[in-house]
Amino acid sequence: MTYYIRRIAFYVVTLWAAISLNFLLPRLLPGDPADIIIGKLRRASGGRPIPQEVIDAIRALLGTKDGSMWDQYLAYWGRLLHGDLGVSSSRYPVPVADLIAQALPWTIALVGTATIISFALGIIVGAWVGWRRGTWFDHLVPVTTVFQSIPYFWLALVLVAIFAVNLGLFPIVGGYDFFAFPDGPEASWAFVQSAAYHAVLPALTIVLSSVGGWLLGMRNMMVSTLSEDYIVIAEAKGLRPSRIRSRYAARNAAIPSYAGFGIALGFVVAGSIVMEQVFSYPGIGKLMIQSVQSLDYSLMQGVFLVITVAVLGANFIMDIVYGFIDPRARHDD
Amino acid sequence: MSGHTRTLAAITAASLALGLALTGCGTGDDDSGGSSAVLHVWGGNATPLDNDFNPFHIDTAQKATFGPIYEPLFFYNQLSSEPPVPLIGESFEYSEDGMALTVTIKPDQKWSDGTALTADDVAFTFTYGTNKASDLISAEATDATTVVFTYTQPQFTAAPLTLGNTFIVPEHIWSGIDDYMGQLNSEPVGSGPYTLKTFSTAAYTIEANKNFREELPAVTEVQYVGLDGNQSSQDLLATGQLDWVGQFVANPEVLTDGGVLSTLNLQQDPTVVMTCSSAALGCSGPQTDVAVRQAISAALDRGTIREKAFAGLAAEGNPAFLLLPRDQSWLADDALSQSPQDPDVATAGEILEAAGYVKDADGFYGKNGEAIDLDLFSPDGWTDYNDAAKLISEQAAEAGIKITARTVSDAEYWTPLANGDFQLALYGLTASLQSDPYSTYQQYFYGASTAEVDSEPQNGGQNYARYSNPTVDVAVVAAGATADEAVKQRAYATIQAEIARDLPYIPVVLNASQSFFNSKDFTGWPSADDLYAMPLPYSSVASGIVLRHLAPAK
Repeated sequence: MTYYIRRIAFYVVTLWAAISLNFLLPRLLPGDPADIIIGKLRRASGGRPIPQEVIDAIRALLGTKDGSMWDQYLAYWGRLLHGDLGVSSSRYPVPVADLIAQALPWTIALVGTATIISFALGIIVGAWVGWRRGTWFDHLVPVTTVFQSIPYFWLALVLVAIFAVNLGLFPIVGGYDFFAFPDGPEASWAFVQSAAYHAVLPALTIVLSSVGGWLLGMRNMMVSTLSEDYIVIAEAKGLRPSRIRSRYAARNAAIPSYAGFGIALGFVVAGSIVMEQVFSYPGIGKLMIQSVQSLDYSLMQGVFLVITVAVLGANFIMDIVYGFIDPRARHDD
Repeated sequence: MSGHTRTLAAITAASLALGLALTGCGTGDDDSGGSSAVLHVWGGNATPLDNDFNPFHIDTAQKATFGPIYEPLFFYNQLSSEPPVPLIGESFEYSEDGMALTVTIKPDQKWSDGTALTADDVAFTFTYGTNKASDLISAEATDATTVVFTYTQPQFTAAPLTLGNTFIVPEHIWSGIDDYMGQLNSEPVGSGPYTLKTFSTAAYTIEANKNFREELPAVTEVQYVGLDGNQSSQDLLATGQLDWVGQFVANPEVLTDGGVLSTLNLQQDPTVVMTCSSAALGCSGPQTDVAVRQAISAALDRGTIREKAFAGLAAEGNPAFLLLPRDQSWLADDALSQSPQDPDVATAGEILEAAGYVKDADGFYGKNGEAIDLDLFSPDGWTDYNDAAKLISEQAAEAGIKITARTVSDAEYWTPLANGDFQLALYGLTASLQSDPYSTYQQYFYGASTAEVDSEPQNGGQNYARYSNPTVDVAVVAAGATADEAVKQRAYATIQAEIARDLPYIPVVLNASQSFFNSKDFTGWPSADDLYAMPLPYSSVASGIVLRHLAPAK
């Protein structure tokens, strides 16, 4: 039990540090980001004065010249706990929290599902390839790694050109068919179908370009696990090969991959910038790139905060799961 | 010890099920979009779209805000020298001295919510928010259809801005709003031919405004979509899912060969090498010497730049910065009707040598032992600009002038321009809205429209070249204070001679603006013979005029 308590305490401290760092970073940047934002707002509003409440809100989030750091820090936490991430300067006056809330579900659903598919596929096929090492199955390794090394952008464009434009099998853009659903997302089976249909090509690019890594890692671990003594004993006991493969070899060989999976899950929230651009797919990645391009500090800070929390959360869950899967991980208590 | 296998099996089952679900629903919505009379438009916006229809957000509000939903009093067609087309307004008249302007609006108009639109709304609009001009004394509604504006200065040249680019807003809604910039105005009430029907972050639809004062548009619904790239829009055009787009396509035949799409390419806006020209205002570098600017201009092979960097789609610019043939009557000297298209290295050398420059051992000109070494930047990813900058650098080198071309991020592009912290930059000017170059000369060449280096031009001035020439300033003031064409003509002749010699902006090309539209399912588009409005879906006011002309093909 102390293992879990220790892990939880560790993550609480890390979360606090990450959020505090998010508070500090804009204040450490050269120049005053708050001044830059207020200046941008002034320009966007044709040189007119900006209401004092807006200025106060920006200062509280991004730093102010008056008031101690400690007071600012408390104000920052106060706003965060109320879910107030400020106002985007490049899309003034849209609240940052709204932008993130709109994008997050799409990213989690698509990139999350694709990451899980890619992982499952890589582990299952990797286990087979490792089990049948030296046969034609081994050709799968170079094939999948070639896909991984193709520039992602290009792969996505080729898929669109072939399957969407020439063959017309899949839609070209969007998270759903906005021609058929002009009112936006709705709670209907037809909409879910449309969204799933639109997710195929984007998901395929993500899976194609990431499955090679999982497969290669799993295959190699499988090969080295198969030379372990307990496998020889299992064989000597006369166990069925399928049982040796899945319960003895694959189970142990997969353990290092789980750690990598935890990290990959965390980065799901960062979205997939290139995929979102090519498919005009809604998601967090484009918010991140747009905010960086237009020096929109509030949006940047909001996106980074969500990503940080997600990476920590995913790692925390994987740590817990890891403790279950591999009892050795919690043995030192 | 079987927990793990079960997990794996569960994941496999889940992913299989999902895979089936994903592939299984490829049928069903094939007949979406298609034959209905909804017009699908991309106005150039990336996703996610913001639910912003605030007419005061000039840069960030959705494109349908300007023209389809909100209207100015008159429409100034920048493609013709015809008088403006009445929208809300009916006629306008200046007083003798130009200090008073009387506007009559059409009777019996309504806002899209059914409230009456009267002269009071017009008067309110001009005294509200960013619309209030600094030289306005008062705007008064003298009866239900007449508004009288009085000013501290003659307004002869302000009509395109006042009458053609100020969007009239309903007083009964905006009078209760103090923070007009902080509004999203997601349920816009306007006077235009359309009103907002539905909105999502992926697309929004406008429908015919039942309270519109004139005949309802034949295309009753228009959907604007958000796309993240030109390739996506090109693919959607090619597959018949989009009907109207304005964007650069290097090989337009690919799209128009199918017989569904038509294209128009109108060249309007000058692409220039902008120079930080005035040492007196704090610019530094060899480009502050007029001889260097003239030599660069002479060295340019504009024909090659047009062909290679702009795919042969751009047109020839002129050093008078007129839009020809529209502004032909304002051209004082025929020699200024076109910038030279072929390079003249010999002349470039003569100009520099006459100004005391000598060639060094490497073949580059310099003065006092210091070679000319100029920095030219353009925004990264604007490929036509980037290629043009490279060509300019090569062509200048031929003439012995060293120019280093580099690209910068968007954020690093605008700030140095505004602050005057640059030597040369590739830049785009905008042509004047009406057939009168006053706004071009006033915005880009007038001394009061610039600022010293390290400060930004105020009051909407865009003279980032820091060009300051007393002769030009006097002529600009003289042209602005008169309605007499002969006086204006003389003033413009002076300005044209001065700026063609001084070259604070070195003309390169007239940039292309291509539009593509579905002329099979919709009729009434502008054509080369009938350029009644700019056929670009992102073009303010003009896009609303085009929509009113369209009709579904029978």
